[in-house]
Amino acid sequence: MLLTTLDDLLAQQVVFFGGKGGVGKTTCSAAFALAASRRGRRVLLVSTDPAHSTADIFEKPIGSSEREILPGLTAVEIDAEQEARRYIGDVKRDIERMFSPAVIKQAHRQIDMAAASPGLSEVALLDRMIDLIVGRSADYDLVVFDTAPTGHTLQLLRMPEAITSWIQALVRHRRAVVEIDHGSDQTAEAAAKADPVLAALQRRHERVSRLYSIMTDRRRTSFVLVMLPERLVIDETARAAELLNDAGIDLGGLVVNRVLPDDLTGDFFLSRKAQERTYLDEIERRFKRLPRVIVRQLPRDVYGTEPLTRVSEQLMAKASLEI
Amino acid sequence: MSFDEFRQRFGDFLHGAAYGGYELELRRQTGELNDLFLLLCFMEATALPNPATLYLLEVYPYLLEQFHSWHLRMGIEHSPIGTLPCC
Repeated sequence: MLLTTLDDLLAQQVVFFGGKGGVGKTTCSAAFALAASRRGRRVLLVSTDPAHSTADIFEKPIGSSEREILPGLTAVEIDAEQEARRYIGDVKRDIERMFSPAVIKQAHRQIDMAAASPGLSEVALLDRMIDLIVGRSADYDLVVFDTAPTGHTLQLLRMPEAITSWIQALVRHRRAVVEIDHGSDQTAEAAAKADPVLAALQRRHERVSRLYSIMTDRRRTSFVLVMLPERLVIDETARAAELLNDAGIDLGGLVVNRVLPDDLTGDFFLSRKAQERTYLDEIERRFKRLPRVIVRQLPRDVYGTEPLTRVSEQLMAKASLEI
Repeated sequence: MSFDEFRQRFGDFLHGAAYGGYELELRRQTGELNDLFLLLCFMEATALPNPATLYLLEVYPYLLEQFHSWHLRMGIEHSPIGTLPCC
């Protein structure tokens, strides 16, 4: 199997790491971010997995606000529920500045009801991602996302498309109403410009569509799927690859994580190794056209920058090896 | 009557002559379009999922008044949606 490297992805603006639960997304994304920062890129590592473990890997506290943990490497752990609460708080404050108490009371009730709806925290998470991707390009060269397990993340990444087409439909309807219903004192166009509902919808539409255009631009954004040489993981990874393709997101490579070392002895390990061989062959067959990187299992868990550097070296390995 | 005033009135007359016949129909259609817009915004209240809910939060205050006039127009005295009490 020809081994490639994630080296090419260092030039991207956004790199997502995803995969089935427990395959080592956090370790790989941290190792990749570390490698990028050591090559002089200003890197933001964002964890969106509700079970945050980035802080454990770097053995440093990381919170919901950006924090530089190593030179050139800033990390942040974002929590969907918390983002939803923050967003709703912001909206309520905005409303309080603009409306009468009676309207505010009713609006708050409506907002609280909407806040309880499922899916809202995902949209809030997406909104924070927009801030980090679109709004911070002056501060960071590369944003690396350590995402939640596959299903969740793929749904999240397909949301911008759904949201933009929704808002577009809303804008179309609202515009039609405003343009027909404008008073005789202004033109249809002026009425549309002055409508606060239309303005708010268009502002949102613009934000989400900017994210969408960055995400689907293969020269700027790539997705890396992390996997293990195991039956169930291979199947889920294949499905994820298909979905990413449908969503128009570039699949930049596969990381085959925790591959056993070659120099094992004993019946147990030899039998394990033989089984792994068949899975590696299957991976090679099924993901023929994708760059694949092998990361070998280390004798100990990966904690701290030293072991992380060893994973980085494997991700960025220049040489082509045979396994 | 100055010439400007005459022109203004003549203009209004022509506008009325041209649009008057259609005004009722136009208003009806606008009303229906607006109802559809409201439905799209308040879908959650009718238990239909709406991917843009979060982004609609900030426009709700503007829409409350319209929602009120909608349920009156429908001949419903009080808000028909329990979770959206407006009067």
